[in-house]
Amino acid sequence: MIELAENQLRFSFPDVHPDAELTIEFQRTLRIPDDGNDYPLPPGLGNFPVQHVDDHAGAVPSKWLQHGGVMLPMFQSEAMWLNFDSAWVDGHDVAYPFAIQVATGKQCAVSGESWSDRLTRSPQNYMVAPEQPWLDGFVVEKGCVRQFVAMPLGAGYSAEEQLTGEAVHGGLQLAVYPMKRRVFERRFPKVQRRMKSEQEFMCMSMPCASAPDMGLAPGGRMKQEIYSDPYALNDWQIEARGRCFVHLCNSMVWQSVTGVMPPHPAPTAKTYTESGLPWYEYYDDSMTAVNGTSTLGGLKSVTQIGAQKGEIVLPENESVTPDNLVVFRKGLSKGQVREGAF
Amino acid sequence: MEGFGEHLREVRERRRAVDNSFSVRQLAARVGVEPSYLSKVERGQQPPPSEKTIAALASELDEDPDVLLALAGKVSGDLQSIIRRRPKLFADLIRQLKDMPDHAVLRLVREVRDGEW
Repeated sequence: MIELAENQLRFSFPDVHPDAELTIEFQRTLRIPDDGNDYPLPPGLGNFPVQHVDDHAGAVPSKWLQHGGVMLPMFQSEAMWLNFDSAWVDGHDVAYPFAIQVATGKQCAVSGESWSDRLTRSPQNYMVAPEQPWLDGFVVEKGCVRQFVAMPLGAGYSAEEQLTGEAVHGGLQLAVYPMKRRVFERRFPKVQRRMKSEQEFMCMSMPCASAPDMGLAPGGRMKQEIYSDPYALNDWQIEARGRCFVHLCNSMVWQSVTGVMPPHPAPTAKTYTESGLPWYEYYDDSMTAVNGTSTLGGLKSVTQIGAQKGEIVLPENESVTPDNLVVFRKGLSKGQVREGAF
Repeated sequence: MEGFGEHLREVRERRRAVDNSFSVRQLAARVGVEPSYLSKVERGQQPPPSEKTIAALASELDEDPDVLLALAGKVSGDLQSIIRRRPKLFADLIRQLKDMPDHAVLRLVREVRDGEW
């Protein structure tokens, strides 16, 4: 079952395991420059407001009602990233594993292939949480994504339009599959715990006149690894899938649809960087990154298409030099030496 | 708490004040019962009618059928069959929800709906 609470989508599978719960957040962020350079990860600036489409049945396109799901507002050229948070399972001392499919306009953001109700390994068309904490864009090559940037559907910029030649679906599609319970219990057996002192315990505790549909288009490049599934394909409980259609509503019409203002646009990368605020890098040295597919690798960025069309669609796209870099490094055991590229 | 008959009469009279087709006679004809019977139900001289008639009355009077059924001391057939399929689970669930505030119960039913893609 999928619930919407505090602007987060909560996928829970009580029939599989009482702790099989994954939360997906839609984070506002600044748009990184689309200048050919590889940037670190931009910050999270809070969640986008998310609402049920059914709550605005009289004001959204009938197609949205047919799809069901939820909606959130995005300004043209605004960026977003997805945060995956799986529930910690006490006693097993791990977060419950999930396979997650993410598509934009029904084109997979990891493999570039058309939406499939099946998980595939070659090419991998999903990610695995908790190993994969975030997804910031389209996987264009190994270790590199192009940022998710909202553009009006039909303008020719979205990944869907570049890959299919049509502007039909827009939005963002999510499907979540929990690991089978018996596999989970076999792979992550209960941990024998020593008795904890009390102190330690405390420490742990109206139909739219204008088309509101936005699609996600490839923006600037950033360094992000998408990890290969470390489990077996058969470990996932395929029939327990939860899926949700996330409609992207142009922020210019969000207020007329919902009656509430959309959030302010995010600061520019230049303003943010000049203020000395941090950028991020994340590596998990125990994991292997997937190779990007040629399908997504062949996508043109918003700026590249804009140049072909003679349009300037990304204002304030100046290059920046992030100085304040925060690096998260996971997966190295104590004393292990990291092997880099050489 | 207001009884079924009393509530029925009140709602029907309110509708009749603006629309004569909500007289006892005409409403009874539309839901397929005798006017004298409907009148007795309203005055509490007869027990509430069948689920089918209550559903027809709810539809005519634009009332929630589950609420009318509850006033009549009944549970709809579809709910009964849902509970019968998994009696222990639903009995436990309903007992647990008994004292839960409305907003918490609403959260339970605010599941995100999936449609046709």
